[in-house]
Amino acid sequence: MSDPKMKFLVVDDFSTMRRIVRNLLKELGYTNVDEAEDGVVAMQKLTAGGFDFVVSDWNMPNMTGIELLKAIRANAQLAHLPLLMITAEAKKENIIEAAQAGASGYIVKPFTAATLAEKLAKIFEKLDKKAAA
Amino acid sequence: MSDFAGMEDLLQDFLVEAGDLLSGVDNKLVDLERTPHDRPLLNEIFRGFHTIKGGAGFLNASEMVTLCHLTENLFDLLRNGQQVVTPEVLDTILSATATVRSMFSDMERGGQPAAADASLIEALQLAIAGELKTGLKLHLKENIASAPVAAAPAVAVVKNNITHLSDDGIDWHALYAAVTGESPPEVMDAQHVNVLLESGAIPTLADVPVESIVKAAVGRRTTDKPGYQGPAGGRRDSERVRDNSIRVDTARLDQVLNLSGEIGLTKNRLNALRSDILNGKNDTDTLHALDLAVSQLDLLVSDLQNAVMKTRMQPIGRLFQKYPRIARDLARSLGKDVEMQLDGEETEIDKTMIEDLSDPIIHLIRNAVDHGVEAMKDRAAAGKPEKSIVRLEARQEGDHILIIVADDGRGMNPEKLRAKALEKGLISDEEANTMDERQSYNLVFLPGFSTAAEVSDVSGRGVGMDVVRTNILKLNGTIDIRSEQGKGTTFVISLPLTLAILPVLLVCLNEQPFAVPLSMVREILPIAAKEVQELGGRATMVVRGEVLPIVTLAALLGWPQERVPDYGVLMQTAEQSFILAIDTFAGREDAVIKSLDDFRPKGVAGVSTLSNGQIVLILDMKELLASMGEQRTVTRAQLLLEDSPLRIAA
Repeated sequence: MSDPKMKFLVVDDFSTMRRIVRNLLKELGYTNVDEAEDGVVAMQKLTAGGFDFVVSDWNMPNMTGIELLKAIRANAQLAHLPLLMITAEAKKENIIEAAQAGASGYIVKPFTAATLAEKLAKIFEKLDKKAAA
Repeated sequence: MSDFAGMEDLLQDFLVEAGDLLSGVDNKLVDLERTPHDRPLLNEIFRGFHTIKGGAGFLNASEMVTLCHLTENLFDLLRNGQQVVTPEVLDTILSATATVRSMFSDMERGGQPAAADASLIEALQLAIAGELKTGLKLHLKENIASAPVAAAPAVAVVKNNITHLSDDGIDWHALYAAVTGESPPEVMDAQHVNVLLESGAIPTLADVPVESIVKAAVGRRTTDKPGYQGPAGGRRDSERVRDNSIRVDTARLDQVLNLSGEIGLTKNRLNALRSDILNGKNDTDTLHALDLAVSQLDLLVSDLQNAVMKTRMQPIGRLFQKYPRIARDLARSLGKDVEMQLDGEETEIDKTMIEDLSDPIIHLIRNAVDHGVEAMKDRAAAGKPEKSIVRLEARQEGDHILIIVADDGRGMNPEKLRAKALEKGLISDEEANTMDERQSYNLVFLPGFSTAAEVSDVSGRGVGMDVVRTNILKLNGTIDIRSEQGKGTTFVISLPLTLAILPVLLVCLNEQPFAVPLSMVREILPIAAKEVQELGGRATMVVRGEVLPIVTLAALLGWPQERVPDYGVLMQTAEQSFILAIDTFAGREDAVIKSLDDFRPKGVAGVSTLSNGQIVLILDMKELLASMGEQRTVTRAQLLLEDSPLRIAA
């Protein structure tokens, strides 16, 4: 599942943060990365197709990460996409809300490339299991 | 050694973006003061702190994370209506943004920010607990008793949720562990609130004085003190870090790319034509094609120049947005009610200029709030509304950008200004008597001039206004004052659209052209012998009632004067207006300045190539005048060569 050519969409309203995530993904060998500054733009790009993985911030104007997640899961064409939720909070309610809405993983800022790799690996593992089953 | 080794790029991005974000937050806070229950506004501010916190985390700026986290928590309660915005709470928040800003400067200097003041952290924690009140110290005991009660409902909600969710038959604890790979944290309790309140003397807001916030926000430079003679506007090292990056709209970059592509095509066409011509092909068709290609190149290059210039243009709003906060803090510390109105934020201006304008505009606003606007009771007595308006406006007028700082205060009194300048020995009796209103207003730009009878901490140190003028002149701009007593004062800064191209007037002396900045030129007039008068041993001319000294370009350059000058150029510099006597002039031109890197003759600002290929020196009038000292004046006889040594020798 973990294919270095897979296309990521990084969603965050803070361009510095998008750059950080993009750099971390690059460190892990994923160079095919596009960016969106909020959920609305992300949905436009996703529906246009070609993406394999979404990494989204939670707190954004216009359309938050959780709204984006729900929109993706409600869209038959996109529902299968893995989504890693990034947030500055380790609040239990948030994590539960994300899990309930169908987040594939949850990562708390700040994180290192190693943490990101670990989370990604877990998600791929789950996806592989699902594919095998 | 920088604390951010290997992260410099990231740091710069963060500082620029988070800096903008914080300015936005500051402005929203000023709005919040008027509409404290505006939910969307509270939400935006919350998100601002949240975003800054997230970025700071990656830079390991733990102290900033702590501070933003607390402020964010407070806003979370505010936006959910669990706490309300009181003046005390707002003060604490404003102090928090000021601290975050100073943390940014720490980071610009390459170091991790120091911890926020303990009193601020405690004030924030108190605000979160809903216990932030003035005079808290006296009632500390009772508050401790009530604190757990205040925190309890929140805990109950969390617990409730968990039990409720567990009823679904899903093991949320296990899910949590699966998602995060961690064991669930302890349920939040009121314990830490207790600890906080019992930890001893809790500072009231009195410990976070408004003055310190104002100072932190305005940030006086070390050079900003009386008697400082060093270069005005000398940048701090830290600011340079920020200088080298720019955000450009991709559409604009695409246009540059597009044009350079087109130029490449035209270049190929020219290459082909060149080989044709070199091979002896010079029929009309070939020449026509050459003509066409050259005119196309001409058009494309000027388009490209414009497009490149545009990439340097930024909306001035990014600069403007930090001022309402500064004005508000200042007004508050002075017990005034000032509303700042912004206009024309979308006006675009060269990025370098935006940075260099920052300090001058702060000075003008500080001046308007401190000196321009009257105290509330004086306004009431004068029949004006208590709230005063300070307006900051930008707009483009022709090839200039105007920046206007206007107040509706007491206006300037030219009489008083002259008396003050005289008393301080800045001007002579004679000068004072011949000054008109405009010249009197301009006295405030003299170094060491201050109108406030008592020097206040805010402005009135007699520095600043001269620095303002110096900085504006450095940008080839001008600054003008209009004032009406009882109605208010308006400062108008006029700036060229860009620094890269300097409109110049070409003046000639002994057949040699020189360029002078057009921004200094008021008008060109013929010099007629009968209109030249001698006043105090100097040749002068009266132009519309104003007596102006005549300075010859020959004398400025130290050249012999070989003929009687035909024309005079009325020039205005910071200190004075004068007539520059020249042989003739050769028109105006948009000069592209080339600086002389390691060789800089005195009085030469740079060189430029004219359209005919001739090289011309661009004169630095100010430096020329300064180097001349008093010798620059000529007598009427010298000017008109009536008894010149040359003539005698001849």
